[in-house]
Amino acid sequence: MEVSDSVLDHLRQVIALPDLTGTRYELESEIGRGGMGVVYAARDRELDRRVALKVLEVPITGEAQLIARLEHPSIVPIFETGTLADGRSFYAMKLMSGARLDRYAADTHTLSERLRVLRSVGEALAYAHSQGVIHRDLKPQNVMVGEFGEVYVMDWGVDAVAGTAGFRAPESTMDRLSDVYALGALLKFLVSASDSPAVAAIAEKAMSTDRRQRYDSVSAFLADIDRFEQGLAVEAWSEPIWHRLRRFASRNAVLLWLVAAYTLVKFLLFFLRKF
Amino acid sequence: MDADTAIGGPDGRFPSTHVSLIEAAASGLSEAAMDKVIALYWKPVYRFIRIKFQKSNEDAKDLTQGFFASALQRDFFPRFDPTKASFRTYIRMAVERYAANQHGAENRQKRGGGVEFETVEDQEIATESPELEFDREWRRQLFFLALDDLRAHCEQTGKRAQFSIFEDYDLSDRDRLSYSDLAVKYGIPESTVNNHLAWARRTLRAFITERLRGTTSGARELHEEMRRLWK
Repeated sequence: MEVSDSVLDHLRQVIALPDLTGTRYELESEIGRGGMGVVYAARDRELDRRVALKVLEVPITGEAQLIARLEHPSIVPIFETGTLADGRSFYAMKLMSGARLDRYAADTHTLSERLRVLRSVGEALAYAHSQGVIHRDLKPQNVMVGEFGEVYVMDWGVDAVAGTAGFRAPESTMDRLSDVYALGALLKFLVSASDSPAVAAIAEKAMSTDRRQRYDSVSAFLADIDRFEQGLAVEAWSEPIWHRLRRFASRNAVLLWLVAAYTLVKFLLFFLRKF
Repeated sequence: MDADTAIGGPDGRFPSTHVSLIEAAASGLSEAAMDKVIALYWKPVYRFIRIKFQKSNEDAKDLTQGFFASALQRDFFPRFDPTKASFRTYIRMAVERYAANQHGAENRQKRGGGVEFETVEDQEIATESPELEFDREWRRQLFFLALDDLRAHCEQTGKRAQFSIFEDYDLSDRDRLSYSDLAVKYGIPESTVNNHLAWARRTLRAFITERLRGTTSGARELHEEMRRLWK
């Protein structure tokens, strides 16, 4: 049996498609491809709605089943997990619309808007960690920003995944601190050092090669972001005196204006009385 | 360049490496397991040697044969470390080393006997990437073997109609008949054509997985190879 190039290409194409025999789904189109598997848009015949089907070569076991039970506003809800007739595993998820974070970040957004997105990602991570789940592959391509500004973290890690260069912590065994590292890399991706040296320092601390120098949790990382947004000194940066004065002035602008106005009035009254 | 070997082609038989079961077992693999490895890798190794070292059909066949015989006699297979590379990469690199040594020895013998010129055909072949050709041939061989498994399975289980429809549609190199044309041709409903094709593809995929399982180190490498296969 001769297998020509065109037949080989055709076979690879048709066999790669998930076999949905016996499921409630009809295949529509491929919408994404990553290290873990391929995502398709599909129609759920029973509920007459569109879903995203993620098809994996690896079986869904252990932690992946835990992921399916995560319930958080920034974690894409999973409707169903199972095994296809061809032996592959699948997740049926809410079909998201919006922009991936790498595309979203290419548009102009204020610093506080970028930090809002980062905070949502961090809150989803902190929640997942509290449930014993580690993401393992956090990167801009795995974060979606919806049309109403909602943020979703996708592609929660399974065993076969070990991060993406630039966002992957240097250690070989992934744990919560590896996610802290990736969150720092995400912050660095979203905010340039010229935007704010304090934020850049937060990212650098989270991305320390020495794990002991990193924030010990995502919550500690977010607390430093909070301090920055409230105009307080951040843990990650010992700021120069001029910066501290400027931050003080910025935080107490009203008080300083009142003091200045009071001084001016006193000054004017002093001269009016004199002449 | 002369034509490729027909070994591994239609109705072809892979040559025995003349290594006994005891020798194969000594290298850590049963004869059946070894046969699976040779069936999948003989042709890619042969093509790689032909292109990389610009060997004639006969020389490439001899080197391929020599490589597998040498691999069986030494502890080549037990030395494979799946943490360093896939089995496919391990074999390709080993072939490259083996053929380079043989090629070097051959050239040393010829030295002083005049200058060898490459033919125009050889130069054309040399512009292809031997590594890519190795992977392409490996993929083709994998499908070829799995299709043979599927055909045998269909014959044994009385599913000739399923295989015929699959052959007419998925293995056709010309314009494919539509599902409705196939339904008319075989006198069955269109939905049955659909089901037969889905079954044949699913079963072919299972045979591909089985073939790969026999030539990979474990679940992780198997899934990686499966993922690369569809890329």
